[in-house]
Amino acid sequence: MKLRRLIGFNLLTAVVLGVVGFYVGWWLGHLVKAESIEYFDDTGQNDIALFVAYFTGVVGFLVGLGFANYPVQRLLGKPPSLREKETAGIGRYFGLCTDHKVVGIQYLIGIGAFIFIGGLNAMLIRFELLRPTHLAWNGNNYLTLVGLHGTMMMGMMTSGILGPFANYFVPLMIGARRMAFPRIEALTFWLLMAAGTILMTALAFGGFPTGWTGYAPLSEQSNMGVDAYIAFFALVGLSMMLLGLNMLVTVITMRAPGLSWSRLPIFVWGTITTSVLMVLAAPVLVSTLFMLALDRTAQTSFFNVQAGGSPYLYENLFWIFGHPEVYVLALPGMGIVLEILPVFARKPLWGYRLAVTGMVGIMLLSFLVWQHHLFVSGINGDLRPFYMLSTELISLPTGFIFVCALGTLWAGRIRLTVPMLFALAWIFNFLVGGLSGVFLSDVPSDVTTHGSFFSMAHFHYTIMGGLLFAFFGAIYYWVPKMTGFELNERLGKIHFWVMFIAFNSTFGPLLVIGFLGMPRRVVTYAGYLQGANEWVSISAFVLGASMLVFLVNLVWTQVFVRTPAAANPWGSKSIEFQLPSPVPVHNFDRIPTFGPDPYPYGGIEGTRPVVVPARPTA
Amino acid sequence: MGAKLAILVAAVLAVAVAIGFYVGFLTGGPTPYRPPAGSASGARSIDLTLQTVAAVGSKLSPNKNWVSYLVRENGVWHRSTVWTLPANTLVHVTLYNFDGQSGLRNPFLAQARGVVGGTFAINGKPASTIDPDAASHTFAIPALGVIVPILGVTDDAPKQCDDAPCPMSTAHETITFTFRTGKKGHYRWQCFVPCAAGFVYGFGGPMQTVGYMDGYVNVV
Repeated sequence: MKLRRLIGFNLLTAVVLGVVGFYVGWWLGHLVKAESIEYFDDTGQNDIALFVAYFTGVVGFLVGLGFANYPVQRLLGKPPSLREKETAGIGRYFGLCTDHKVVGIQYLIGIGAFIFIGGLNAMLIRFELLRPTHLAWNGNNYLTLVGLHGTMMMGMMTSGILGPFANYFVPLMIGARRMAFPRIEALTFWLLMAAGTILMTALAFGGFPTGWTGYAPLSEQSNMGVDAYIAFFALVGLSMMLLGLNMLVTVITMRAPGLSWSRLPIFVWGTITTSVLMVLAAPVLVSTLFMLALDRTAQTSFFNVQAGGSPYLYENLFWIFGHPEVYVLALPGMGIVLEILPVFARKPLWGYRLAVTGMVGIMLLSFLVWQHHLFVSGINGDLRPFYMLSTELISLPTGFIFVCALGTLWAGRIRLTVPMLFALAWIFNFLVGGLSGVFLSDVPSDVTTHGSFFSMAHFHYTIMGGLLFAFFGAIYYWVPKMTGFELNERLGKIHFWVMFIAFNSTFGPLLVIGFLGMPRRVVTYAGYLQGANEWVSISAFVLGASMLVFLVNLVWTQVFVRTPAAANPWGSKSIEFQLPSPVPVHNFDRIPTFGPDPYPYGGIEGTRPVVVPARPTA
Repeated sequence: MGAKLAILVAAVLAVAVAIGFYVGFLTGGPTPYRPPAGSASGARSIDLTLQTVAAVGSKLSPNKNWVSYLVRENGVWHRSTVWTLPANTLVHVTLYNFDGQSGLRNPFLAQARGVVGGTFAINGKPASTIDPDAASHTFAIPALGVIVPILGVTDDAPKQCDDAPCPMSTAHETITFTFRTGKKGHYRWQCFVPCAAGFVYGFGGPMQTVGYMDGYVNVV
């Protein structure tokens, strides 16, 4: 019986078919012959074979999961299954499942695993930087570690909030029973898992020295590890596009009666604005990487100066995606923080419309600032003032979010629960990140800080201090609802305080170290910075240890203790907390209707939503 | 509870083993070569014997067509570019170059710097510079200020080397020079000529992979 469970369309079959597909593609790729690619013989580097192998490997992986069943059955004229494994016990977490709640949990575990790998790489980087000269890894491996860390984090965290939390909660928050395209929803997750695995194979092909940006011409001339980078980010981009599109269609077409745009929970607005960025920015990334792949295989010359191409083209195209990408990471965090604050301040969200305006403003402006990444690249100097001003302008809508957060806290009955602590930390961290960002948006100061650890510390304050703190806030806030089991509050607080202090002890000094001239992506540094770097490394190790506290909490409470969570442990007015924990498969017995105020705390209690709770499933 | 605990312990062990392999892989690389101490003169000195080849061959590398440095240990040629050298020691380098002339992109590198006496020898004849167009590679340790241009074999020289490691009976140029290691440290050395045939701008493959055209000098 157990053996029968292993046979079929599931993760095990997917891995087997993925590996077989990889080697079949590798073999096929080596059959490709053309005069223009004779360089393979000289270099021993067959990029075509590797790209074909990645492609067929991913196809095999998806077929093994069962993604081909639906189209094949349609082609054969047979009635396809409209739902996949929605009630199939624990097995549904190891395959294609069309239940948005299962996909949300799959995302949480899957992305968590890859974030763990990314974090491990960060620890290894900081270990090397304990000494100003060589300590453990050679320069090439150090650069690969930096690239793996940055690419893994930036790629995986694009879906770090939308993947687990928007997939799980947006349908609930809008009163829907499912996502608009459930199979595509599952596909976005499994594409991401395939992508993460591919990125790790970069090590087997010589690594890649380009960091997460993959700038040409370095990416054109580097080892086959760059092919893994390209395949990874292209799959991430594809996943982002599909995820964003699915979210937008779901919110636009599947809202329950009474749920007008001005009544949407603010987290849904964070999801909408993020999704727009995903849908518009990710295609630029995928196209750019396709061009880079053509340069490396078919000998085109989009980015090759010697043959008439331009590396500037790559850099511009990358950042046309890359800067909206930064806000793909920031906006969901803002949505979560503004969702959490009213619950634990027992007040309506202050300035709901201002917050929405801020999110939409950030979304629009984020497409107009990308060249501030290229201030010192030799671009036309006349372009600098515009991009300096547009970058500084984006601080206005960001300021709206801060005003709304602080206005919500003002005179509130604040409860310092773990989710609230993470939300408050977000305010502090993102403020430091925003203020340090001003130095990078101003041309005169950017000239001295660009490419330094100051820049690195800045974006860690915004992305890790912003997104990751919001991510953990969301975990402590929503995981009991998702799994039906409580998390330990005391361990949660220990996790928070160790993480918050160690985070600031790590990245605060790095702002100073950057000002003192330490460059990014260089394995050695000036001897007089050793003391400061030792401090930072030790702080980073403590930061890493704080994640272990979280893991202990998660495993202990969710696997061993399993204390059932109350349906509404926080006293939230949001609709998902009016449902049982965990939420039943069909979400609602009857589609709910919504009242006028999304945050009826204080004197207007009970005005929304009108929910008929679903009966718990057996 | 027991089954869960067993699964947890197994999972933790599996992760620990995976991390161990990962870290081991990252610390891997060419086996360091430590030349035996020499006594050519009264001063502390050692001998380092190298060759540069246009294609390293399938016996020494899976990338048989990559350009590479080789080092001689007990009369046998190895592909290792990580060398452990004693501090404050004179290193007498003998370099046999079997590769052709590809020229320098930066003529600055045509003059020897950082070597004892400011000169080196080409086939036994003292020199301080070479024709930039006749260069094949360079040997440079930037942190120690060492730069030595390496004269290439002319295209019409008889008995060109086909298979590395190259025997002395095939066409080659012999470059000799001496540099001082100075204080303890970990220094990168490399060839500054983009000589990776087939790669964009000549900078890929062997120019980016430790063990071919670059490596480390561990001064201990």
